[in-house]
Formats: sequence, C-alpha cells, structure tokens
Amino acid sequence: MQSLIVLVLVTTISFIIIRSAPGDPFSYESPNVSPAVRQQLRHQYGYDRPLLEQYVRYMSSVARGDLGYSIARHEPVTQSLAAALPNTLLLMGVALALSFVVGIGLGATQAAWKDSWFDRATSTVLLFFYSLPDFWLALAILLGLTYWLPLFPPGGTIDLVMHDYLPFWGRVGDRLKHLVLPVMTLVLLIAAAIARYQRAAMLEVLPLDFVRTARAKGLPERRVLARHALRNALLPVVTLLGLVLPSMVGGTVFVEKIFTWPGMGLLTVNAIDARDYDLVLAGVIVGGVMVAIGNFLSDLLYAVVDPRLRD
Amino acid sequence: MPWSTRVSVTERGLGLRLVLARLWSRRAARTSLLLIVLLYAVALFAKQLAPYPPATQHDIVALKDRPPSAQHPFGTDFVSRDVLSRMLYGARVSLSVATLAVLLSVTIGLTYGLIAGYFGGRLDEVMMRLLDALLSIPRLLLLMAVLTLWTPAPLSALIILLGVTGWFSVSRLVRAEARSVRQRDFVAAAHALGARPHEIILRHLLPNVLAPVIVAATLGIANVIILEAGLSYLGIGTHEPTASWGSILRDGSDAFGTAWWLMVFPGLAILVTVLAFNTLGDALRDALDPRQLPGASTIPSTAEADIQRTLTPQRG
Amino acid sequence: MRTFRVSLLGVALVAACTTTDKTTSSGETGGTMVVAMPEPSNGLPPFIETGADRMVVDLLYDRLADMDTTLQTIGDKGFHGELARSWDWAPDSMSIAFHLDPRARWHDGQPVTAKDVKFSYDVFKDATVAPNVAPLITNLDSVTVRDSMTAVIWFHRRSPEQFYDGVYQVWIMPEHQLGAIPRAQLRTSEAVKHPIGSDRFKLARWETGQRIELIADTANYRGRAKLDRVIMRPITDFDAGVTQLFTGDADFFELLLPQYLPRVDSSKTVKAVPYPGFGYTFMGMNLNDPKSLKRPHPIFGDHATRLALSMAVDRKAMLQNVYGTNGKISYGPFPKSVVVADTALQLPPYDQARAKALLDSQGWKPGADGIRVKGGRRLEFGLVVPTSSRSRMTYAVLLQEAFKNVGAKVNIEQLDLNTFGQRQETRQFDAAMISYNTDPSPSGFKQTWSSSGIGKGGSNRVGYSNPKFDAMLDSSLASYDAAKAKQYASRAFQIEIDDAPGIWLYDVLNIAGAHKRLHITGLRADGWWNNLADWTIPANERIDRDRIPLNAGAR
Repeated sequence: MQSLIVLVLVTTISFIIIRSAPGDPFSYESPNVSPAVRQQLRHQYGYDRPLLEQYVRYMSSVARGDLGYSIARHEPVTQSLAAALPNTLLLMGVALALSFVVGIGLGATQAAWKDSWFDRATSTVLLFFYSLPDFWLALAILLGLTYWLPLFPPGGTIDLVMHDYLPFWGRVGDRLKHLVLPVMTLVLLIAAAIARYQRAAMLEVLPLDFVRTARAKGLPERRVLARHALRNALLPVVTLLGLVLPSMVGGTVFVEKIFTWPGMGLLTVNAIDARDYDLVLAGVIVGGVMVAIGNFLSDLLYAVVDPRLRD
Repeated sequence: MPWSTRVSVTERGLGLRLVLARLWSRRAARTSLLLIVLLYAVALFAKQLAPYPPATQHDIVALKDRPPSAQHPFGTDFVSRDVLSRMLYGARVSLSVATLAVLLSVTIGLTYGLIAGYFGGRLDEVMMRLLDALLSIPRLLLLMAVLTLWTPAPLSALIILLGVTGWFSVSRLVRAEARSVRQRDFVAAAHALGARPHEIILRHLLPNVLAPVIVAATLGIANVIILEAGLSYLGIGTHEPTASWGSILRDGSDAFGTAWWLMVFPGLAILVTVLAFNTLGDALRDALDPRQLPGASTIPSTAEADIQRTLTPQRG
Repeated sequence: MRTFRVSLLGVALVAACTTTDKTTSSGETGGTMVVAMPEPSNGLPPFIETGADRMVVDLLYDRLADMDTTLQTIGDKGFHGELARSWDWAPDSMSIAFHLDPRARWHDGQPVTAKDVKFSYDVFKDATVAPNVAPLITNLDSVTVRDSMTAVIWFHRRSPEQFYDGVYQVWIMPEHQLGAIPRAQLRTSEAVKHPIGSDRFKLARWETGQRIELIADTANYRGRAKLDRVIMRPITDFDAGVTQLFTGDADFFELLLPQYLPRVDSSKTVKAVPYPGFGYTFMGMNLNDPKSLKRPHPIFGDHATRLALSMAVDRKAMLQNVYGTNGKISYGPFPKSVVVADTALQLPPYDQARAKALLDSQGWKPGADGIRVKGGRRLEFGLVVPTSSRSRMTYAVLLQEAFKNVGAKVNIEQLDLNTFGQRQETRQFDAAMISYNTDPSPSGFKQTWSSSGIGKGGSNRVGYSNPKFDAMLDSSLASYDAAKAKQYASRAFQIEIDDAPGIWLYDVLNIAGAHKRLHITGLRADGWWNNLADWTIPANERIDRDRIPLNAGAR
C-alpha cells in the first residue's frame, strides 16, 4: 500500500539525518565506561560500520520489532515507547475530540449568523488564539492556574504519591484533574484553527443552489443547516484531521514539556537532550507513523462523507 | 489522494492595482498591512531606534530584573540588559529569519511543484510520494533533533533548516495549480507553437500559481515566527547574546512570577506580529480570489495555507 | 550562614533506640517526603555519576564506617561504625580488621558477611568497572576474609588518611545478588535498577521517568528510618523543581536560588534550609588544544593571556547579580568548607585597564570589529555550560560581556548535563564552567589539579600541570600534622592561582527549599541527605500523603 512506502521513506530519511550526527550513542555514555568497553559496545551494535550497512541492520531489526536500546533510560526503546505512547494518545485524543466539537460548532454557528456581533467577536477571539505561540499559552496557563490561582496540579498525569491509594473514583478524578490544563491549552489553539476553517467552508456551501432549494422546500432552518449545509461543509474539515495530526505531533511537544506530561513529545525531547540516538530516531519515526495513520484515516473519512466517491 | 478542484484562471492573471485596492478597502487588512510595514521598518532601523546596544549589561548588581522605568521603558533582564533594545533587535532577528526562511521555502516549493505539475506522469507520482513522506516527518521534532545534535548552529543554518523543512505544503499547492493550468488551451497552443518546457513553465504557469503561493508565504511567515520563538525559548534557536523574542522569554522564564515584563512584552510582540501576518494572509486570500472577477474561479478556501482541497457541492 | 552541627552521639543514641513496633508508624515515625531532583541514572555504588545517583546509594547502602559531621579525614577518630561494629589496627598499621555487626541484613533478608565486603572492594578496585574510584584507593592492597564476620583490609603503606581511604569510597554490596554477573555487563544489567543494600531505607520501586520510591527498612539493624517513605520525583530543569516545591507537589528541592527567598518568606508551606557543601565553581581554561591534546591551546596556552582574562572579570559584582547578598566568593581552587582552605591568598585583581594592556603586550591587537587578533588568530573561543545549572548559565552570559569589553569573543554552548560531562572528560572544550564537588579529603585535589590527574581516571579537566604544585600538594598530604598540612596546601594553591588555569568564581551556595513540616537534622557537607533516615514529620503536622501506611505500597 502507498502508506507503507511512505513509512519506509520516513524511516529512511530520519535514519540518515540522525545517524549522520556527530558522535554516536556511546560517546555520550557515562564516563564510568572505559574506552575499551565503549569500543566493544560500538562494535556490538554496529556503529563502526558504514552507514549503508547500519541502515540495513536497522531496517531489519525494525521489521522484527526491535527498535534499539535507550542508553539514557537503560531499557529497550520499545519499552520506553510503550510507556509514553498511551499518554500522548490520551492527551491528543481528548484534545482533538474536544477541538473538533467546539471548532465545528463555533464555525458553523458563525457562518449561520454571518456578520453578526457574535460572528465578529468570535472571529477576533479565534484569530487571537490562533496567533498565540503554543509555548507561551502553555506558560501563561501554567502560571495563571497553578501559581496565581492554585486550582490545578502543575504537571504529570497523576499525583505520583497519592494516586495508588485513592479509591476508583478518586483515581478517575485525579487523572481528569491532571488532564485539564494540557487539554485546555491544546483545545484553545486547535479549535481556533478548526473553527476558522469550518466557518469558511460553511460560507462556501450556504449560498449554493442545493441549500436554497432545501430552504424553498420549506424545511426548518435548523434542518437545512445541520443536515444539508453542514454535512457538505464537513468534508474539508474532516480532511483537516489528516493535516492537524502532523502539527499535533509537533504541537504537543511544548505542552508536554511545560506540563511535564510523560508522552511521546517529552520522551523525544529528553532523548534529544540526552543524545539518546535510538530513542530519538524511534520518536521521529513514531511521529511519522501517526501522521501517516492520520492521513489514511482522513482519506477514509473523506470517502465516507463524500457520497460521490462511494459509487 | 482523492480530491478535486475547480480552478480556472483568467489569462491575464490578476491586476496588482486591483488587488491592492481590494486590500485597502477592508479595515483589518489595512491595519495589518501598515503594521507589518512598521515592523519591517523597526527591524531595519533597530540600531537607530534602540536606546542602547542590546547586549550591554548596564549594572549587573543594581539593575538586575528591574521593572519598566524612564531609563528602561521595558525594564531590564537578569543581567541588566535593556529589554526594549533587545526587543527591537529581536524584531530584526525574528522577522529576518522568518522572511528569509519562507523565501527559501517558497523558492524550493515553487520549483518542485512546477516541475511535478508540468511534467506529470511517472515523475509526478514519484515526486508526490516523496513529498508525502517528507510531510509526515514531524517538523518540530526534526528541527529540534538537528539543532541539538549539531550544536551550536549559526543563524544562517537556522534559516536554511527552517526553509528546507517548510516547502512541502507549498509545493503541493503549486503542483495542484500547475496541473490544472497545464490543461488549459493557451498552454496547449504554446506547446504547439514549439515553446520549450521552461518557457511554458516560467511564462505561463508561474504567474498563475503565484496567488495562492503569496497567501501561503504570508501565513508561512507567521508560522515560522512562532516556530523560531519556540526554538529560541528552548535555547536551540538563537544563541547568547543574540536577542530574539523567544530568547527573551527564555531568559526571563525563572522570574515570570515576579518580572511580568519579561513575559508580557515578548509574548505580546509575537502575538501582534503573527496576528498581523495572519490577517494579511486572510485578506490577501480574499483579495486574490478571482471569484468576483469575470472568468470565475475559486482559489481553495483555506484556513491553513497548506490545505488545497475544496468543496464540491453535493446534490440533493 | 547557619551551619548545622549535630551531636553525632545524639544521633547514634537515637539510632540505637529501635522502635518496638516496627511495621506500623506511630509517634515519631511515619510520613512521606517527596524530593524533586534530576533523575538518578542507576542505583549501584560503582557507577555513581551525579548527585542524585549518590543520594540513592547513600540511602540504600552502608559503608564499613562513616564520617561524623566534623568531617575530619586524618586518623579514625572522626568515624563511627556502620556495618563494622568495631575495628582493630594491626600493630604495624598495615592492615585493619573490621568486625561486622552480626545483626546486619540485606534488604532481602540475607545476612551481611565478610564475603560481601571482599566482593565489594574487589569490584571497586577494578578500574574497568569503576574508573573514577579506583585511583582513589590505590593505597588499598587487598581485602581478605578472616572469618564470616571479619574482613581485613590490607594497605601498601601508612598514611594520615589511611582509614578514610579504607572506608569512605566503598559501599558494601551483596555478593549473592551481583557476584554472578560478569563485571563488564554490570553497568547495563537489570540490577542497576534493583539495588539491594543494608541501610535504613530500602527500594520499593524504580519507575524510570516517574519516581524512585524508598521505604523504611523496618527490620534494620541500626533501627528503621523515621520516615515511612521518600519519593524522588525526576525533574529535567530548574523551573519544574521550583514549581513543584511551591505548589506542594514536592517537599524538598535542593537548588533554590536566593532570588526565590522573598517567595519563600511569603509562602505558608515552604522554608529555606541552608546546608554546607563542598562545591566550588570556576571557568576552566583548557591548557591544551582540544583538536590535539598534546599541543598547547592556541589562546589559553599563554599564561599572560589567561591572567589578562582573569583580570577582566568583576567577580564580586557577578556574585551579587547571581546570589545577591547570600553569595560566597571563591578564594581559590577549593571550597571554603574544606579543612585546608585559605582565604588570604592573592587572586588576580579586577582591572580591565591592566587586562587590556597585558593583552596588547602579548600581541593581541584590536581588530575592525573590536575583537583582538594575533597572527591571524582571533581572540575567540567557546564556553561550554550545562543547562541544568541556572547560576552557571547566568555567569556564562556575564563573562561573555566582560570578555567582550577587553576584546575577546565568547561563543556560549549550552549543553545538557550528560553531554557537558562528556565534553569535560574528553577535554573537548576551550573554556568550561566547571563545578567540582570535592570529597572531604584534600587528597581529592590530586585528582583535580595534579599532573597525575590528567587523562583517564583523573579529574584534571584543564590539563594543569606544575611540578612545584605537585610537590607542595604531596607534602601536604603526607603530613600527619594538621597545621603543617594546611601550610603546604596554601603554598600549593598560591602557586596554582598564580598560574591562572581558571577564573575562581564562587562556592556553590546550597539553599534548599523544604516543606515546613519536615524536621531536618544532621546536614552534612558531603551530601545533605546523609542523615535523612533521622528526619521526622511530627504527627500533628501531617498531610494526606503522610498518612499512606508503610506497607500499603509494598510490591
């Protein structure tokens, strides 16, 4: 399938870039490891081979499911990924769902009441949020809602100390409490983009013939909007999923870092700082995989929503 | 990927005068255009405008982290540097990095897209596959990895990196436009008359794909400003003592609770600048939309420059 | 600066009084403390790299004997027994027999025997396993097992710090857990995250990136730790630590900067806790060319240039910028807290005019952009600094501007702590913001400043080598007379200061932020955590997390 080729290409390109960086994982190993042992490890993992051979080795081990060893965390890469991925999926999933609901709702409503005070005010607010740097917003929220007004915990997914000893609903509450701020930051930024897009899409559709026909037929306005107009306007927005995803993979990096959310973004950032090459490579590849999946999903959704393509 | 577009372009392209007039008619567009001109002017004349050199440490004991005052209207930072001067020079850095990077992106994107769009066929397919792969790599992570592993990177390297990672969506846009323009009669006519590929590309295709590219470039600058600020905030964009709005935020990050001026001013500057570019980009898109001109066409209506799919009306 | 002096006898008495009820927490025992600090990379004693590693090891493992808070390294009067209940010197002082406490048990229940002692010393003396420690215990010849409860350490020769050398660098590890693992694979084995020791805390769980949880060893031979549990929360940067401290997510953060003191004053939950330390920071100038370490550095190889750069720096003003009025200026290549410190030595004065004149005289002529040039080479160099240290980063920016004023250009390279350490160790830097944490013993200076400390196994990162310094330092270390030792050391330090291999900036200021409910005792300069087992949280001040029962989280 085409996606597979894309994946292979993503892996290859990332591999070339990261493996050609100066040094190798074993230069940055602990100073307690003697040079002789380091050389031995280098040889064992094949880092003293030409790049092409390293590539072949790497690809074959990836195919077998072995993504290498994380020097900094002292564990196989797959283990680190397995710990971090669910956290990112949770964060992204909740944020995306909320963003789409809020964004579509806002955008469609704006289009329906075009040029009203609501439309104008919302547009301004949305433009404001759309133009904010993501890391600045995260910092502001962190400062405002954990320091000035200590309403929420400053980071993490759970209260590390208390969580295990809380009853079931206590634990649910704990998780939710920790989700609020990072999700809020992401939603403010993404929903703004989605709303803008949805509004434009709706405005394209509303003056079109079939909408006027529906109105002429005497259908209630709400039905006209929701069933006919929106359904068509959903098309491009749904495809937005495929394009919001890549920016999300990058966009969660700052949010995860500032709220110390232990997801893929934070994992990769720490790996980059620690020169943990295998983990960095894996992080970038996983990012690429998620994007590819997003695109695939968006194509799928497009086909579902656009009946023309269904025939 | 399945998508469709309805694009037809007037042979003469769009008059520049007409575009500017339409821009000027909207107040938001007017304001943002003026603001941007002002920002570039500030960046250009930073040296003349700044009360002090940006790296001078005035009094590391008495003037550390001082709030805004007569001598230092934006306050001082942790090594007693004048924040206003740093902001002005920072404008220069942030704007020039973004502009140059986007210029680079647009150049590469145009070339790639025009070639793929014009020649089509197998070449186009391969180029698009490659593009899909490149689009899938998370830009921020890649930038962070490269800038950290090859540290310290000079500003020129930063610009090139930003440019080289930002052309993918532009080229998709261009290729789509080029493909449809290529079908038009006047191109076939030119071909029949014996015009060479590069002549066709440069003389006929290029002018007609420029419109969405300009919009994409404007929005792209906004995007890169935020990106560069983020990288500088992490410490891998600009390096001491170079000031960029992101690095001022970095310098002040441990004093945010008390030294609000270190967080507010750079944040506000980024916000206003990005707002201006986004507004201008929106306005340009509307202004360049030949829908209201004879020979109607639709430039893909987008909230993000890199989306080029359009609606097709649904019957029933 | 307040120093904490604790009667060690008092501590020993308290430790000896074991609580009868060992599984539940009542009265003085109990409570949970959360510490925000960088993540330890592993928990095995031979592989200590960072302060966090050392804390884990100090809390989990015992030595044969440990130092009192006086930190006197000459002789054995300043030590009290841990695993060894008593010891006997051989008549010729070439060996010491340690009699182990028969009650001592490993955290998995096995008894501690002399075999474990021998095993541990063998591992530590193996330079392929522990290259940082092996050079410090060269005086140890070997360890033999006299019987299951007696281990004998044999020395090559008598020395003033013989006892210190014998017991301070080695923690005793269980042979039954680690003996079967090939030495070369020890570092990457699973055992690094499953340390089994014999001290008053034991490991409950180790979750990379999330927490390291230690709980009180209720059956410990020296009495259980007072607190129920200590949780180490990893933080990657300074801001996260401060945030967690002030929101109450963490109870202790060891690296508060003075600018946060007003915030502490207005906080209802946080108090400032100064503690002694052995750290000092300087800007080290690599005396060799990093591209080829046999050659002198093109800029720093010249003594007058180094001196000139030293004189360009207003150390007092910089100290005030970073540390306010709480700062401790550096008096030379040593921390003030070490016994041989001398505050009366002559350091290069702050005099930019003289600095410029000196540079002129060396042939460094100002170029078009203000940066000096000599023979085609610009007075431009790199300065590496770790991102983990806010104070060093600030100093780097301050130094950059100071050097610019005399015509030198500095390119600051901000690196994460690991990379910074690696660049130091391989000497791939021009200038570096180096922070040394010395041992209580002045013999540590041999590692960092003598000729024998250059290269593998030593810590002489700038490559300083002066035979006069070496001789003077050796004389100091060979003296059994404390006063003479100090005299020789002073002379050695003055020689080094005159050579100016570094710019001596400040003693590391140790102010921790702690939750008010913690009752903190016994802060030692070689690690604030050394008496953590005796910290308490009074019952009437406890909060939610203190009420988690001791065995609730046991896995």
